[in-house]
Amino acid sequence: MEAPPVTMMPVTGGTINMMEYLLQGSVLDHSLESLIHRLRGLCDNMEPETFVDHEMVFLLKGQQASPFVLRARRSLDRAGAPWHLRYLGQPEMGDKNRHALVRNCVDIATSENLTDFLMEMGFRMDHEFVARGHLFRKGIMKIVVYKIFRILVPGNTDNTEALSLSYLVELSVVAPAGQDMVSDDMRNFAEQLKPLVHLEKIDPKRLM
Amino acid sequence: MQREEKQLEASLDALLSQVADLKNSLGSFIYKLENEYDRLTWPSVLDSFALLSGQLNTLNKVLKHEKTPLFRNQVIIPLVLSPDRDEDLMRQTEGRVPVFSHEVVPDHLRTKPDPEVEEQEKQLTTDAARIGADAAQKQIQSLNKMCSNLLEKISKEERESESGGLRPNKQTFNPADTNALVAAVAFGKGLSNWRPAGSSGPSQPGQPGAGTVLAGTSGLQQVQMAGAPNQQQPMLSGVQMAQAGQPGKMPSGIKTNIKSASMHPYQRPRSRTCPDLRLLHVCGELMDTRSWTAQLCLKSCAYSVLPEMVTASVSLEAHCLHRPGFPDSSLAISPGCR
Repeated sequence: MEAPPVTMMPVTGGTINMMEYLLQGSVLDHSLESLIHRLRGLCDNMEPETFVDHEMVFLLKGQQASPFVLRARRSLDRAGAPWHLRYLGQPEMGDKNRHALVRNCVDIATSENLTDFLMEMGFRMDHEFVARGHLFRKGIMKIVVYKIFRILVPGNTDNTEALSLSYLVELSVVAPAGQDMVSDDMRNFAEQLKPLVHLEKIDPKRLM
Repeated sequence: MQREEKQLEASLDALLSQVADLKNSLGSFIYKLENEYDRLTWPSVLDSFALLSGQLNTLNKVLKHEKTPLFRNQVIIPLVLSPDRDEDLMRQTEGRVPVFSHEVVPDHLRTKPDPEVEEQEKQLTTDAARIGADAAQKQIQSLNKMCSNLLEKISKEERESESGGLRPNKQTFNPADTNALVAAVAFGKGLSNWRPAGSSGPSQPGQPGAGTVLAGTSGLQQVQMAGAPNQQQPMLSGVQMAQAGQPGKMPSGIKTNIKSASMHPYQRPRSRTCPDLRLLHVCGELMDTRSWTAQLCLKSCAYSVLPEMVTASVSLEAHCLHRPGFPDSSLAISPGCR
């Protein structure tokens, strides 16, 4: 079951509940260049941004069946950048008209001792990977094209191997709850990337 | 009589216009062939042929039209033949027939084909009659079948070549890869799942009452969240961890307060399928260790865990690491629970 509709939650101060709207697809390695060119044309004019990130996913196992998941991410190519901690809720189901996957999302920046802190709290690292790719932006939409690398020796981010011959393409928007027209904008943008890439909402539970 | 005359005139007019169109398109085609032959492309030639064939078709339709009287029954008889130039005729024929004379008439008013051609036609008809009706029918059928086969093959080739041209471009993504990547990002399928060697701290699942976990090794402790199996009795258990008193050595003390369902502020339907996690409020910054004494505000990391029977909200207070050289570095994280 999902969380109650976020708009019903009492707001007693603090941050607004942000939802992440997500569309995912993939592109094969040999078509990456054409996709990058197309994105450079479609997206906001900025220097092409590449990134290398190391993401670790932490689980907190309670009595209940499903553990609590937090994602910690750090940059491998930008020295001094803060770590990033993210919580993603269960996708909100039910609305077939909604074109994107919607889930609750909380993001914070942290300092480098994040892993120690999470360990103290009782989290255990479930898996980690290295993501290497490009970042584009169009308005509030963020388009990330990256390749996932499996880490062969735990903790060693140099010894990696690509997971597949494709790049994952994600179109995401983080917006306050209740703004469903965002998903329409996302779908229109996704139309422009066809037939190179088919961005669609993929339910991760289906892939379990 | 008059009606027939009118019909004749009307059909003649239609025929005239059709023929004029045909003549024009033929003329333009010839011009194109003669003058632009070096720039001519096959599709343009095909276009001209298509135009001609369309016009011939309409001509045929006009002739077959029910309102057209049988021209076969009409006879054209030359009345006057003269070797003089006839201006009227010149005008009407656009300068092609200047004289209505003996040479012109047999060509223009011809109704039967040339004698040689007539001979050949007669030959062909006798041959056809000789074969016999059944054999002829069979031949017709086989011809039709072969033609349709050929047409099918051609159209299939055309369709395949079209899509074949697209196919190398089409494979820009692989749906199986998409699923694999999404699964990897969502829950780590295919990535090496790493577990720390020897998870320390006893795990006590499902114990009613308090679970006490001693602080032992550095760094690895498990927070106990005891869920009460029966929701009638609210339980309050505090778990206090001992602190290792050595300076310069880690660990954190964690106080866990576990409250139970009946005091939960949210009235919501309980789910039977899977438990629900809601992160109430996480905000703040963990500053760099060197500036801990600076403003540091971490509001709670408060989880509201809702299993099917019991609601437990856990609020944590953590006293963090003592670092050597920073005696005043005690980070107090105050709980704030919505």
